[in-house]
Amino acid sequence: MSHWMRVKALFKRKQLDRDLEDELAFHLAMREAKNRDRGVEVEEARYAARRQFGSVLRIKEACREAWSFVSLETTWRDLRYGARALAKNPGFTAVAVLATALGIGVNTGIFSVMNGVALKLLPVPKAEQIVSVDQIFHGKLSRNVEGEPGLFSYAEYKNYRANNHVFSGLLAYAPFLVATLGGESPKQVMGAETSCNFFDVLGERPALGRVFVEEDCRAPGASPVVVLSDDLWKSQFGADPTILGKSVSLNRAKFVVIGIAAPGFGGLDPWPSAFWAPVTMQKALEPQHDLLAADNTGWLALLGHMRGGISIEEVRADMGVIAGRIDEQYPGRTTMLAIRRATFMGRPEERSVVFDIGAVVLAAVGLVLLIACANVANLLLARASARQKEIAIRLSIGGSRWRIVRQMLTESVLIAFLGGTLGSLVAFWLIEGIAQFVLAHLPHGAPQLVWNVSPDLRVCGYSLVLTALTGILFGLVPALHATRQDLSTAVKGDGDGFIGKAAGGGILRNALVGVQVAVCMVLLIAAGLLMRGLYLAQTVDPGFEMKGIIQAQFDLPSQGYSTEKAQAFQRELIARVAALPGVDDVEQARVTPLGHQWEGTGLTLAGETQERAFEFNVVTPGFFRMLGMPMVRGRVFTETERRSDAPVLVVTESTARRLWPGQDAIGKTLRNDEKNEFQVVGVVRDSQASHLGQTDGLFFYTPAGPAAQDRLQLLVHSKSGETATVNGIREAVRALDANLIVDVTKLADNLEAWRTPSRIVAALSGVLGALALLLASIGVHGVVSYGVSQRTREIGIRMTLGADRRDVMRLVLRQALWPVLIGALVGVIGCAAVSQVLSNVLYGMGAHDPVAFVGVPLFLLSIAFLASYIPARRAVRVDPVVALRYE
Amino acid sequence: MEKDGDLMQGTLDMLVLKALARGAKHGYGVAEWIHESSNDVLHVEEGALYPALHRLELKGLLAAEWGASENNRRAKYYSLTAAGQKKLAEQAEYWRRMSGAIARVMQTA
Repeated sequence: MSHWMRVKALFKRKQLDRDLEDELAFHLAMREAKNRDRGVEVEEARYAARRQFGSVLRIKEACREAWSFVSLETTWRDLRYGARALAKNPGFTAVAVLATALGIGVNTGIFSVMNGVALKLLPVPKAEQIVSVDQIFHGKLSRNVEGEPGLFSYAEYKNYRANNHVFSGLLAYAPFLVATLGGESPKQVMGAETSCNFFDVLGERPALGRVFVEEDCRAPGASPVVVLSDDLWKSQFGADPTILGKSVSLNRAKFVVIGIAAPGFGGLDPWPSAFWAPVTMQKALEPQHDLLAADNTGWLALLGHMRGGISIEEVRADMGVIAGRIDEQYPGRTTMLAIRRATFMGRPEERSVVFDIGAVVLAAVGLVLLIACANVANLLLARASARQKEIAIRLSIGGSRWRIVRQMLTESVLIAFLGGTLGSLVAFWLIEGIAQFVLAHLPHGAPQLVWNVSPDLRVCGYSLVLTALTGILFGLVPALHATRQDLSTAVKGDGDGFIGKAAGGGILRNALVGVQVAVCMVLLIAAGLLMRGLYLAQTVDPGFEMKGIIQAQFDLPSQGYSTEKAQAFQRELIARVAALPGVDDVEQARVTPLGHQWEGTGLTLAGETQERAFEFNVVTPGFFRMLGMPMVRGRVFTETERRSDAPVLVVTESTARRLWPGQDAIGKTLRNDEKNEFQVVGVVRDSQASHLGQTDGLFFYTPAGPAAQDRLQLLVHSKSGETATVNGIREAVRALDANLIVDVTKLADNLEAWRTPSRIVAALSGVLGALALLLASIGVHGVVSYGVSQRTREIGIRMTLGADRRDVMRLVLRQALWPVLIGALVGVIGCAAVSQVLSNVLYGMGAHDPVAFVGVPLFLLSIAFLASYIPARRAVRVDPVVALRYE
Repeated sequence: MEKDGDLMQGTLDMLVLKALARGAKHGYGVAEWIHESSNDVLHVEEGALYPALHRLELKGLLAAEWGASENNRRAKYYSLTAAGQKKLAEQAEYWRRMSGAIARVMQTA
């Protein structure tokens, strides 16, 4: 009832106002008449009536508030008022809106990337019903891992699948299976081995043919069938409509195509799958090992489709029981299950990477937003002091402080929303392009990535909340400050013009400038450190020779090569490559230097029981000479040692220093877990052959003997043109095995892959740093200009009394720059902490790089100086006579 | 200490309802009636009276109608609705019990 009356009242405001007016006027008239009846004079009676009546205005206000949806109506009024005020000051509005738009736009953009990478649910029907299951082990663990440690073995999968009561279907798949698709020109494609309910659990229907049925997974090796992605079907088979029933070759095994997945479906990872084969065909796809029978090897990721009405807590409880039962077979081990709504990058290791990086980047863009906020807050402060008189009058005639604060807040939130909308729209518009650009510039060999960064409800909600918070953040302090004034001074209008009296606002303004400079300093130094890191990375000497060296990489075991077949292949290939014109050296190595592949093992020192973790490489004796890595002690392997797979080692200098400090490493022995002893015969100079920027890990080399031939890559040195040699090597491989995929590149290209992350980070931080600098210098400039304009009269007086221009300049600059200096100092200190974190992420960068730590502050200070010098110059040009008259 | 004649919050609503129990009155009439009935002890501030009247009207306890006053001016007349009468009865009962209780407490030596 009362709500309905209020709504009516909202539309009949004028009528209600008139009625109220009449009602109160009637009251006054009656009172006046009564006073007159008592014999008071007419004039006197009216005044008495008024006096008794109190403030008519206030009564009206109180009555109106009873009538209206107070908040709704005042908000509407505040909005209109705010919009009018903003329209009246287009310059101020434009700067404030743009600053906010920059801050919020950057944040929205970064968040939508985060959202696209790791927060959006899987792009499958009923994604909200699908949960991912991962293991986290505690206690004693002895387990083989293919991929991430949280993956399941086939036996474990079958156990969970058979015994759970919460899923309508539980699927398993082995992600990131790289296979060679045979054909006229063999091609490397990425696919997955899946349980046969894979498509059914996800609710994915094929565009053509059928998906797997349980029969396909009946027995290992029984059903060589494959489902191809729409993408692969179109790009490799010309969208052949008769492809069903034909066979394709994957890692040299024949598979019959039974179906084509729906367009756009690329599996459950941001790196799309090109094919899916039954998990039972694992041995055919990866002949080098049999994972189906390995009960304690993790290689399968699990996703379940929750039965209707089952909550995720029930899933956790039910699956936990099964985990506990499996643990009984492994005394001392406890398995926790991480069960969550399935997203891309959902496995714990992937999540921690994404969220660590995300947190750092979000913090950086948050800082940019903070600078923008401080900027707008300062503008609002300046504006509020220009409106001091108006506010003071409203306060003194009884306007409530809350009312005025609210009205000012409405205005700032309005600015925030204009800026937020503008910034977010631009971000939405640009982000896909930026994402595509970044993806197109990933280094050679990086897998293709599907990145859906288009905004969804979550992104919109995020930017909405951020916008509202921003508006309140930069509006509240100025509003509170402006309404907390000394009324009489403000009304009289001489509250400004002299330093002393404006001090309160001055301190606040200076504090805001200080914050801006400090935050800007942190961002700039971080950007500076990253750029220095990039520069060092570009110019770094990895400590070994790369010039003229070509690497040829191939995977023999997955293509069904036995050790004997591999030996013959390698022997023949080396002979053919060595005969190429210009080639003067051919060597072999298990992993190529800086090739982003690492081999690791555990070895035990004589006299110790605890294993130490080593990285290693398996190389031919000439490897060290080719790469210019001299022996500092002892010798390289002999050809005899190589041919006999002798148990000898070459260790790096720092390995020798760490294991046997002050002793000669030559002759020392290490043993592996099969109790085989290896003897150190040489110590090679340290180089960054494994990780760029690192030389101090434990590292050894063993000879590339006959037993190692199936896993060796070629390193070729050529005096003549590299392109000709690259093509020659390709030809040689094709002549030996036309279906073998070989990746032939310059060794120096490996550096590129190391530089890309820091290049992306440096570009991002450079852009953010530039934004921060722009915003902060606008802030400094604005505050100094405002200070100068407020003190024109004081400056005039000083100059009349004999101060010369230099004195005035000094005065203005000193006052302008001290908050900048304090802010800069705080920023530098804050950054020392940040850089410690950064230097852990980025190789080759000292946490206290002097160029960044001295150069950046000097740069920022000179920008701040310039930003205050320009308005200060205006101050000294003041004509004293004009200044004294200045209002 | 409060000034004599000030009204406790909530009590005013009850007095307004009571003033209208015998028939419709305009705002001034309500104020005068309370003033006179209390032997000139209670002054109803207009600043409190009109918002109270409007509030009660919104709650549906009072109905309002414009009519001509005794001196032929346009005036807004308030009267009790059924809900208003019920509310008045409740409040009167509550007040009777409370004031009796307070009086007994205050008389205790």
